[in-house]
Amino acid sequence: MFKTEEGGSFVMTKNEKFKRVEQFLIENQNAHYRLAYSYVKNKENALDIVQDSIFKALQSIDRLDEIKYLKTWFYRILVNTSIDFIRKHQRMMVMDDEVLEGHLPQSEDEQADMDLRDAMDALTAHEKSLIILRFFEDLKIDEVAAVLGENVNTVKTKLYRTLKKLRIEIGEGI
Amino acid sequence: MKQLKNLKKEYEDIEIPAELDEMVRQSIRTAASTKKKRSFVKRYVLSAAAAAALFVGSINASPALANSLVNIPVLGSIVEVFTVQTLTLDEETYQANLETPAIDGLENEGLQSALNGKYIEENEELFRQFKEDIGDMEEAGSGHLGIDTGYEVKTDTDQLLSIARYEVTTAGSSSADMQYDTIDKQNNILITLPSLFKDDSYIAIINSYIKDEMKRQMARDGNTAYFSTEEEGLEFSSIQADQSFYITADHKLIISFDKYEIAPGYMGVITFEIPSDILSDALVGDAYIR
Repeated sequence: MFKTEEGGSFVMTKNEKFKRVEQFLIENQNAHYRLAYSYVKNKENALDIVQDSIFKALQSIDRLDEIKYLKTWFYRILVNTSIDFIRKHQRMMVMDDEVLEGHLPQSEDEQADMDLRDAMDALTAHEKSLIILRFFEDLKIDEVAAVLGENVNTVKTKLYRTLKKLRIEIGEGI
Repeated sequence: MKQLKNLKKEYEDIEIPAELDEMVRQSIRTAASTKKKRSFVKRYVLSAAAAAALFVGSINASPALANSLVNIPVLGSIVEVFTVQTLTLDEETYQANLETPAIDGLENEGLQSALNGKYIEENEELFRQFKEDIGDMEEAGSGHLGIDTGYEVKTDTDQLLSIARYEVTTAGSSSADMQYDTIDKQNNILITLPSLFKDDSYIAIINSYIKDEMKRQMARDGNTAYFSTEEEGLEFSSIQADQSFYITADHKLIISFDKYEIAPGYMGVITFEIPSDILSDALVGDAYIR
């Protein structure tokens, strides 16, 4: 193994590893928050999810074998924590005011977006994960597969199916 | 594709709350400091357990020694628990309040002073660590830190004394640890979890009960959540051989878990009462648990 850049496979001390994870968590906090928010749609719960994910990550840091997997490893924790949360709190989800306001369309163009948003909300948490990770967070297909713990072909198939459900035409490939 | 772009824009426009940054930084600090503290606490638990094992061993080995240590051991004398020391610090964003318990009236003065010494030493170490953390934090800018320790007498009968000591640290979010000491007042020994049982079989018995109980509780109440099995290695798999425990006045074994140990933070410190009948085959006897 000769890779040394990009956090390749050189040996890190525990302390260095912690520092890298810490830096990653601080630098990407906005993305992490948005990801959590898009599942639960309210600020307090999104903050809680980010916080719980940080604890889980830092407590199980020994299970992160190679630092290059840091991103997919943490996204996996974050997605699982979010989905877990939804599953447990289905009965009592609070929406922020701005989300409610967002549901009142103001023009025809927005009406079209509205429909899409409704369709988005109707997706299962798993389907939502696919769309968010691939198109909003711009992860590569194999990274999405790593986050969701599935193989690349399954992810592709499911992505096509989900896009069809959303009636989104895609010119180029996914 | 344009629609997807609009949705993406909406996603990117999700407003970031001002408190996010501070929350992230403090969560990292809390996680880092609980890691550090863990190892410190473990060392003490270990040395206390080692001392207890040595003691139990020597009592069993020599009845004469046991007699010479304790004059009239039959009825528990009046044993008291009181606050011996309070360490406080109150500055704008830093608060500490550490209450140290002391036991008085145990016939076994060796055990009593070992426990009392441990309590004082631990709190002084926590206080020193806390002041050090403040120093680190001041260097990095500023922040909020809090620590609160105290105790509670869980059980006090003629036979048993169980003291619980809690430690709550706050740094953005809070973590909570519980430690227990259970003493047989009549025989003047500190009871450890392994010492209650014939062999290791109790670990599997308790594990399987707790796993079932978690499922039952989650099915019954949607707000109850434990780290579920498919997650990143955090799920409950086994208690420690010397897991935190105490014994109630009606002879039930209570197993305790710290905050974050087996469940999300909002569940706090979690305890399980283990039914005595499933333990009976593994127990050394029914003197304490029945």
